[in-house]
Amino acid sequence: MAAPITGLLKPWTPRLFLVRWSRYNPYYLEPEPRKELYNMPETELTTEQKEERELKAVRPIKATTNSTTSSVFNDPVLSKFVNMMMRDGEKILARGILTQTLESLKRKQVEKYHKAPQGKKAEIECNPYAIFHQALENCMPVIGLASIQKGGKFYQVPVPLTDNRRRFLAMKWMITECRDNKNRRTLMYEKLSQELLAAYSKEGNVIKRKHELHKMAESNRAYAHYRWW
Amino acid sequence: MAMQSGTALQEKVSRMLSKNQKKPLLKPNKPLVLKDEVANRKMNKGEATCVTEMSMMMACWKQNNFVDALCSNEMQSFYKCVEKAQIAKKGKSEQHTIGQGGRLAPKQVNTLLKRHPTLQTEI
Repeated sequence: MAAPITGLLKPWTPRLFLVRWSRYNPYYLEPEPRKELYNMPETELTTEQKEERELKAVRPIKATTNSTTSSVFNDPVLSKFVNMMMRDGEKILARGILTQTLESLKRKQVEKYHKAPQGKKAEIECNPYAIFHQALENCMPVIGLASIQKGGKFYQVPVPLTDNRRRFLAMKWMITECRDNKNRRTLMYEKLSQELLAAYSKEGNVIKRKHELHKMAESNRAYAHYRWW
Repeated sequence: MAMQSGTALQEKVSRMLSKNQKKPLLKPNKPLVLKDEVANRKMNKGEATCVTEMSMMMACWKQNNFVDALCSNEMQSFYKCVEKAQIAKKGKSEQHTIGQGGRLAPKQVNTLLKRHPTLQTEI
């Protein structure tokens, strides 16, 4: 990374077309959109947080992306899912599909709730966000495979994955499954809601794909020592 | 001392190059000049971490036909082991950059050599 060039920082002037660049001088700090951190009184701050605040008074801060808000409904996981679904930069369409998915999830669950007998009503989860998060967690693989070369041949070695990679794989599998393996006439939000409900109850093609990955890793467990990290 | 050892080396090199006494031992196609950087190499080859936890988890999977709910204990211990391994790796890489047991790390050597490169022209 380039060393911070503090001497060459130009004073900020507004431009004609407002653009948020992705390459900033490393001198710039990350923005903090969460409101709770600013409402904390002085006494509750730790020394690190006090230092951070003093630093923020002096250093410039990067602009946030258009999709970050400080509202209670801002969910980084959902934003990431919307970005992954997006094609050709059509964020409005991708976000609309997601809201329709959540609505259809809610509708299905409320229908089940009203049809269920009194004893079973408490078990049915009606919050679509909770269903989404739980379904995604059920789809996340525990262990992955890496292609490692040893003695001229490539072996598939079982390897632990980072949390970001696991979340990415779960979302990717969900989206590709809904795009490719479903009926052409059904709309995306319908396909997504079916697949998410299936993943919530640990059935469906995405869960099957996760299990197949686990089975492959288990069958290759003899090669686990080829890893060097 | 350095100058004396330098001239001794130069004499040995010129003897190896010369065609007067014996067959020349060196036939360089480029001028014999050192590069301004050092190769990046890691002396200790690491080993696979968390293999025992992984094998326990896989044994549990084999028993329970890959149902995740019954293997939650093994999975939790595997995640903990992975976290610890990551923290250890970060700490180790930090320690690497600070000191290399009497020598400098290749990155630091390269920055120093870049500041004082071999002279191309006479000053």
